[in-house]
Amino acid sequence: MTARALRWLPPALLVAVALHQLWLASTRHLTPWCGGGFGMFSTTDGRYARHLHVYGTSPGVRVEFEIPPELDERVRAAVALPEDQRLRALARDFAPYAVSDFESPDSIRLEVYATRWDAATLAPSGVLLAEVEVPIAGP
Amino acid sequence: MRDLDAGDLARKLTLADLALRPVGAGWLRPGLLALALLGLVLPSVSRRPWFWLLLAALAGLRLISSWPLADNHAYLLAYWCLAVAIASRESDPAPALAWSGRVLIGLVFTFAVLWKAISPDFLDGRFFRVTLVLDGRLESFTRIVGGLDADELFERRALLAQHADGVAPDTLAVPKEPTRFRTVAWLATLATFASEGALALAFLWPLGRGPSRLRDPLLIGFCAITYLVAPVSGFGWLLIALGVAQTPPDGFRTRVAYLVVFGLVYVYDEIDRAGLLNTL
Repeated sequence: MTARALRWLPPALLVAVALHQLWLASTRHLTPWCGGGFGMFSTTDGRYARHLHVYGTSPGVRVEFEIPPELDERVRAAVALPEDQRLRALARDFAPYAVSDFESPDSIRLEVYATRWDAATLAPSGVLLAEVEVPIAGP
Repeated sequence: MRDLDAGDLARKLTLADLALRPVGAGWLRPGLLALALLGLVLPSVSRRPWFWLLLAALAGLRLISSWPLADNHAYLLAYWCLAVAIASRESDPAPALAWSGRVLIGLVFTFAVLWKAISPDFLDGRFFRVTLVLDGRLESFTRIVGGLDADELFERRALLAQHADGVAPDTLAVPKEPTRFRTVAWLATLATFASEGALALAFLWPLGRGPSRLRDPLLIGFCAITYLVAPVSGFGWLLIALGVAQTPPDGFRTRVAYLVVFGLVYVYDEIDRAGLLNTL
């Protein structure tokens, strides 16, 4: 490959990654701030406007759990790109932490919300972006 | 100093960026820092293609290992290191570096302005109305320019940061912003969109014609103002390094202007913004 042709490689990579990011943002709820598409400072839908709820569920019971600090990084990645596979893996990792006062739940439920602000009043409201429920294997 | 060519200076500024604000997690951080210091101490090493290829590989590894969380300038760093590696294969790397610097800057601002155009909440002003309140990094700007005092700011922050999952927006009351704050948010919206659009146009326009002639003053002005408000010095320094790379061989004064802004961005970072606020 000639030197002149090679010069196109970095800009071509930039464009390819940015187009992929646009696709992920429009189809998989990737936050526009992440993924290499240069969407920072373009929308309120950043990682910090998203949050995760973790529940342990059993028939007739739903208990919300705190997020352990060890899983912070993985939670940040999951809210930035809340893909089903990523959320299911994270739910399985929550299992050892999801023990209530009485018993282990039957399953772990994750819900990822994004805050949207009303165009006129700026009143916030949470929009559900993704949810999964993963059964916990018995002992 | 007058002999310092654009490519050499651009390489040094890129390495200085990495040395001043080390990036990456785990072993990548000391690895990138050590390479940056090596390149600064031994300039002959920093002219070798393998050196920049190694930096590009580590920068790329950083993107993969932290996917999808890496900031946008982490991507730009990887592309730029690859561009420098490719240019360094040539007997005179300066023209290739200049071309890469110009095109990469143009594309960065093209996608930045595209995102702002298609975003549902940027052009209507919501982005800055919310972000100036919630983003603690912008607090000094919000208080000094936006005119919100500490109590007003914290009260609005508490209201806007509520997790109102599944609650209809009309059930929550958020008091209207003061006129001055709303005006500042609007001006920030328009200025950001206009300046990024102008930068995209200037850097991708055919060289030496029309808007292309404004590209250096536009980028210098953008970095001097933006990074006073937004404490993202790593991005600012990288844009300056790319900007320096594309200056013409006789553009000594332009390179000095870029260097001054590189220093300014460092000074901005060292300003005790909290202390400054307390004196007001």
